[in-house]
Amino acid sequence: MPANRSSADRSTAELERFLTERADHLLRTAVLLTGSRETGEDLLQTAVERLLRRWRRFDGNPEAYLRRTLCNLATDGYRRAGRWRQKERLLRTGAVQAHDATGEVDLRDALVRLLLQLPARQRAVLVLRYWEQLTDSETAALLGCAEGSVKSAGSRGLARLRELAEDWTDTAALCGPNGKRS
Amino acid sequence: MNSDLEDMLREGMERFTADLRAPAGLIRHAAQRRRRRLALRSVTGAATALTAGAVALVAVILPGAPAAPATGIDATAYVVQHVSSALTAAEPGDIAQIAVTRSVTTGGKTVTTTAQEWSYGDQWRSVTNSSAGQPLYDEGYSAAGVYTLVSYLTRTWARERGIGHPTAPAAIGLLLLRPGIKAWLPGLFRLRPAHPNGAVLVPRLCLPVVSASPLLFQPGLPALGFSAGLQAAAGFSAPSLPAARALRNAIACGILADAGRQSVGGIETIKLKSRPNSPISETIWVTPHNYLPVRVVITSSASSDGTPVVRQTADIAWLQPTAQNLAKLSVPIPAGYRRVSLIKVLLGIAKRTGPRLAGNLPLRLLYGKPW
Repeated sequence: MPANRSSADRSTAELERFLTERADHLLRTAVLLTGSRETGEDLLQTAVERLLRRWRRFDGNPEAYLRRTLCNLATDGYRRAGRWRQKERLLRTGAVQAHDATGEVDLRDALVRLLLQLPARQRAVLVLRYWEQLTDSETAALLGCAEGSVKSAGSRGLARLRELAEDWTDTAALCGPNGKRS
Repeated sequence: MNSDLEDMLREGMERFTADLRAPAGLIRHAAQRRRRRLALRSVTGAATALTAGAVALVAVILPGAPAAPATGIDATAYVVQHVSSALTAAEPGDIAQIAVTRSVTTGGKTVTTTAQEWSYGDQWRSVTNSSAGQPLYDEGYSAAGVYTLVSYLTRTWARERGIGHPTAPAAIGLLLLRPGIKAWLPGLFRLRPAHPNGAVLVPRLCLPVVSASPLLFQPGLPALGFSAGLQAAAGFSAPSLPAARALRNAIACGILADAGRQSVGGIETIKLKSRPNSPISETIWVTPHNYLPVRVVITSSASSDGTPVVRQTADIAWLQPTAQNLAKLSVPIPAGYRRVSLIKVLLGIAKRTGPRLAGNLPLRLLYGKPW
């Protein structure tokens, strides 16, 4: 990842190099924030467009900028601008992996699906915390809120996930490993 | 449990997105989107300067535009504004020089403007004149994609890069209309469905188009073929379709009919006419040996409800790309003219011309790259 720099004029080739290296990861973040590949790509495209607009004079960390833009778009602006596509459940996306035979792996998949049932802010916090592996303070700085807010949002999100996971586990126990009622 | 849950969530995220790869051309697409946004912003700004009267004038209702049940299209209407650059499609090796006379009749009063246009490959230029023949403004794209606009009204000029070439001709726009909204703004629409959730163009040969003009007026300067939207509308899968072949297809589809031979400016031509019940009447004279158009006359239907009737004549000459002829594609900046922002020039034109010439505003900025 390119480090911060203070050059007054950055070339597009530099941005291309950066995206070659980091676009996949950022897309994964976007998809986790939005829940579908299509919306995630759209989100990333919009974020890149915003970066491109100021790229020549951009003086900062492009990955941090894109990540922040993705989060802002996902939690607020994107939806408000009317471009928010119908939220898709991960169950319906092509990105979902084939189920493993074990219940534990299924639960991992299910947790990601359940993530989408959380409010956008809580989801963003969990994605940043557990996918991007940012600290609470880094997450707070990125989202532009207090560290306490991040902690409480993360805590509420995890608690909600736990509830949903328990429901899911109970249902899975009733239905058996293949989804059929035992 | 907390730690387990967090680990499983992390692993779930990893698994869920493991196969995702970012699409190629992120920057290119971002740049295209930005160009479109800028163009739209420019035009939106200009449009706000128009009075309600101006909008009323440029909005034309095409009564009786037939529905296209075969495709589920509610109604289809083709829009006539300038006869534009698009004729480049016919012969890429030659420069199309087009003399346009456009008259709009409303309530018995007719306003006539003229324009001289040139088109050659990526380059295009148009000089619009008042009814009295005075130049109002001069606009054009260079081969490098730089748009220049000179206003003789305000003695100002602007130049902007990266707006994108017009991909639909100012001459023709297509709006797929929702029921009951039979109005359009000339030049403001691209050859594609007006509403994302509205009618969908289904590729099919010989769709019930109401006019052959879109087949003739190539909506993309650099290319020889149609825009993606038009290809879909016309059902042609070929990447390019020169005007001559498009005309033959239009005849084969019954959109145009051979109406005999006629001399136009001393040139022996074949006269092609649209169907009698077409909401837009068009007559096209082509040379017999290569089907290149030399004159196009388009008239919207008259109606009793005060709808403006637009009649437009384009006389086309095909010039060799000599240095002298190529020079006609450049927009000259007169000495003493002040350079200002593009939006200022647009607003200045809108203020000076008022509603009478609103339909002739240089709204080509709206035409970005293909969507």
